[in-house]
Amino acid sequence: MRMKKFINRSEDLVSELLEGLVLSHPETLQLVGHNLIARRNRKARGKVEVVTLGGSGHEPGLSGFVGEGMLDVSVAGGIFAAPGAPSCLEALRWADGGAGVLLVVLNHAGDVLSANITMEMARREGLNVKMVLTHEDISGGPNPEDRRGLVGFLPVYKVAGAAAEEGQSLEQCFAIADRMERNMRTLAVAVRTATHPSTGQMIFELGDDEMEIGMGQHGEAGTGRMKMKSADETAEIMLQMLLDDLKVKPGEELLVLLNGAGATTLMELFILFRRVHQVLEEKGIKLVRGKVGEFITTQEQAGFQLLIARLDPELIRLWDAPSNAPYFTVK
Amino acid sequence: MTDTITRDDLFQMIASAADQIREQHALLSELDSASGDGDHGSAMMRSVDRMEKAFAPLGPADIKTCFHQAGWEVLGADGGASSALLGSLFLGMADGSPEGATEFDGPGLAAAFEAGLQAICKQTKARPGDKTLMDALVPAVEALRAAIQAGKDHGQAMQAAATAAKSGAEATANLTARFGRARYLGEKTLGHRDPGAVSIALLFEGFSHGLTRPIGGSTNGRR
Repeated sequence: MRMKKFINRSEDLVSELLEGLVLSHPETLQLVGHNLIARRNRKARGKVEVVTLGGSGHEPGLSGFVGEGMLDVSVAGGIFAAPGAPSCLEALRWADGGAGVLLVVLNHAGDVLSANITMEMARREGLNVKMVLTHEDISGGPNPEDRRGLVGFLPVYKVAGAAAEEGQSLEQCFAIADRMERNMRTLAVAVRTATHPSTGQMIFELGDDEMEIGMGQHGEAGTGRMKMKSADETAEIMLQMLLDDLKVKPGEELLVLLNGAGATTLMELFILFRRVHQVLEEKGIKLVRGKVGEFITTQEQAGFQLLIARLDPELIRLWDAPSNAPYFTVK
Repeated sequence: MTDTITRDDLFQMIASAADQIREQHALLSELDSASGDGDHGSAMMRSVDRMEKAFAPLGPADIKTCFHQAGWEVLGADGGASSALLGSLFLGMADGSPEGATEFDGPGLAAAFEAGLQAICKQTKARPGDKTLMDALVPAVEALRAAIQAGKDHGQAMQAAATAAKSGAEATANLTARFGRARYLGEKTLGHRDPGAVSIALLFEGFSHGLTRPIGGSTNGRR
């Protein structure tokens, strides 16, 4: 597959995309420092700030979720590569408004390395930072350390951001983020590869008639390669794996997110979501909140991520709270 | 060759290591395509540019500050795990260098590398056998220390380190990845050398060339 992308020089990809993101949402976002995307209207001092970090090339993730009620700063790295500790530390210094900073990190090797180095530097500087690691991808196996952070960052940003906006303490924001994190599970499936925008190469290979359940955000191989299945069959297989892993019981209340990987159409996502809804109804599980869209993509990869999360009244209230983040607006 | 390694020697080592990466970046990216996203070469290029700048003749005079600056610069190359680990190596080498020193002796050089290795060990649980850069770095640092203890001069010792790094990197072809993104590919990584280990081997090859260059000679004719 030959790369066909509207880009300029490969080395300018990140700076140009961030410039465009901010210019298209000038009322909400601003660029500060080296590849930091920050809220334009800063939160009042004395409130916890929420910061995240991660590679670029996954738009609108992660910087599209900066805004009132969600993230205060997003540190953007290179294409599919974690930002370095110096930028992350700069973000923490910039964000700290006296009440401390919650750093949300997705479990990927490079991100965790940068985050750990950053946390050590922050401690030396006396910054008050707590880190929450998202690792909800069940394809990694039973060991939480092996589970990657996929679209689960979204509910974590949302509930922690809302709690911070309300003026909850760093400990409280951390506890809420942690509770959300522990109660969510994601599984991804890929059906078509993408090209790396810098190298032009395919990021993985998959047969024309195949799909792979468990595929990571960067084409990391998953656990189950199989012949392409229908929407209903795929939804049923993946949902059952998630329900088993989270040990969901009838009567419980769930959030369901269906995230398109970049080239899977909304048509397909709606068809899938409908089946997820039907199956949950048959099982007596309540789908109390749902969202379909593109929150984190991998270029023109086709496939999707399905997330389920167990909600409680406080998490529902925080999920429903207002946000003006460009890619997750809640009135 | 004298028994001390001056700040200029270090610059030659670093510059020559940077040249090795620049010459082989396409190979590094190609190796990375087998298990990662094929950008290791370009990430390493950004890292070594920054590493070299910290040691440039107009940079800080003392070695500790140079290593610290190199570490911080490399961390800022936004090259994902590889720049985070390489940056940690240099920050650790700064911690392992004496305050204010402008030159090393052989044992001092070995101690700095050992401190660098310790710093990386704090950041990753990967160890030799996991098909990562550790498969080249650990034997290189061990060979350096052993050669210095055996009374070899630092040029010979660095050559031993480079040889150990190279064979460590070659041997990764027979290993199954257990860390980073490559681990999700498991046995599919067999037969491919780990790009991070190959990078380390290239860096040590460069360190060795840089240290043993003819007096007044240049690095690959670039300077």
